[in-house]
Amino acid sequence: MKLSSISSNKHFQAWFKSPWTYVTGAILLSIFQIVTIGSTGGSWGVTGPFATWGAWVYQAFGGSVDHWYFFSTESGQASLQRTFFTDPASVRNLGVIIGALLATLLASQFKFKKIKNLRQVGAAIIGGLLMGYGARIAFGCNIGALYSGISALSVSGWVFALFMFAGAFVGSKLLVKYFMA
Amino acid sequence: MMAEYELDCLGEACPVPLVKTENKLKELAVGDTLIVIVDHSCALKNVPEWARKQNHEVEVEEIGDGEYEIFIDKSA
Amino acid sequence: MSEEAVKVVTEEPSDASSRTEAKPSSRRSSRRSSRRSAERKPKKDQTIYGLGILAIVIAVGIYLAAAVSAVMGIFWVTGIAFGFILRRTNFCFTASMRDPIMTGSTSLTRAVLIALAITSIGFAAVQYGAFATGQAIPGMASVVPVSFATAAGAFLFGIGMVLAGGCASGTLMRIGEGYGMQLLSIVFFVLGSFWAARDMGWWTLNFISNGPRIHLPDVFGWGGAIFVQLLIIGLLYIAADKWENRKQEQES
Repeated sequence: MKLSSISSNKHFQAWFKSPWTYVTGAILLSIFQIVTIGSTGGSWGVTGPFATWGAWVYQAFGGSVDHWYFFSTESGQASLQRTFFTDPASVRNLGVIIGALLATLLASQFKFKKIKNLRQVGAAIIGGLLMGYGARIAFGCNIGALYSGISALSVSGWVFALFMFAGAFVGSKLLVKYFMA
Repeated sequence: MMAEYELDCLGEACPVPLVKTENKLKELAVGDTLIVIVDHSCALKNVPEWARKQNHEVEVEEIGDGEYEIFIDKSA
Repeated sequence: MSEEAVKVVTEEPSDASSRTEAKPSSRRSSRRSSRRSAERKPKKDQTIYGLGILAIVIAVGIYLAAAVSAVMGIFWVTGIAFGFILRRTNFCFTASMRDPIMTGSTSLTRAVLIALAITSIGFAAVQYGAFATGQAIPGMASVVPVSFATAAGAFLFGIGMVLAGGCASGTLMRIGEGYGMQLLSIVFFVLGSFWAARDMGWWTLNFISNGPRIHLPDVFGWGGAIFVQLLIIGLLYIAADKWENRKQEQES
């Protein structure tokens, strides 16, 4: 069976090539969120392991996080003992990346997009730092704190959503003023 | 005479292609065509969506792996 | 082997949220393509690479389930699923909050609200089921203290995600798509997280330890909680819809 006959098959086109609607995404993401809470006891989160990743690298270079409050808790200590492939949240994050890659390749849409200019570099660095710091002190990101928080019927999720929107407002103004041509 | 304009947005991050498209389209006369070249999957979705809601005619063509041309005929 | 240039004339998939029907174009796309085909790069069919990745995905899943634990296999598979879904639908939480401000569009905002509604119903059912049978309630790790740290953190996150062109899930998704910018972003994302972990003692002492954990069922009861939640989501949905109408009218 020729490969091109697979990719031009109408089911292949519908499942892997033509874009799906946002509402489809909402439904499917919900299904897998519910699968997650049902089978793992917790909800979906992304930024949970990030601080631990930082610690692993820091420790590899001889640093120590032993005096840090964050890593002195039971869960903090446990996370330091793990490695990437024994850390569930890390494995899931890698899965998200590979899942997106898989979808992109099956649709024959993969293209490596280099950073275009210094403005993008600045935006990525500043944006990344802000997201990382914010997600840590707020116990999560758009997924863990907002999506999962609200869905788990926690008021923290709504508070997060409100202030994330405020931040997006400010961020939009900054973006237009400093980071667009 | 219907003019064609090209807007190269390759390599631009969200939401730059859409913002540039909105601004550029204002300069065009009705009947002109704007060709927006994108390689961002966000733009592939939100530029046509916006243009259609503004009642312009839109066509999208894939011109390479992950690269697209969005043809917008200014209709209003 | 002849490669057919696959012309993707995408009809806007009909959303609950989209307002206009795609009108049939009076222009023939073949006229354009013949004119511009000289500039076109050759397109590769990447399906074979996709299938290769799929084989790796399955192999890794089997390995994890066998060598580590079945639950680890679940984390892997759900991750793949989330990444796949996000990519196929271009679901962007950043855009759900940024677009209402920058372009007036709320289609993603409304999609996020729909996701919240459906997931809330599912979570409430799972949580209630555990509660009613005296088991530990799953997902309670998401019920975190509400304090100034929540607000400040969310605010910083909101700014950051718009600047960086992607939130947490969006960044992972775009790395998988091949964006160099998000590879850079995630490095600093981790760095920022690590830095905040260092400051966590201060935040905990001054704000977080004073913050209450508020689980809606404790306030409204289980039925009341899901009712209030869906009511709020419904009202926000209507507001988002009106917002887009107003903004689009202002523009045209």
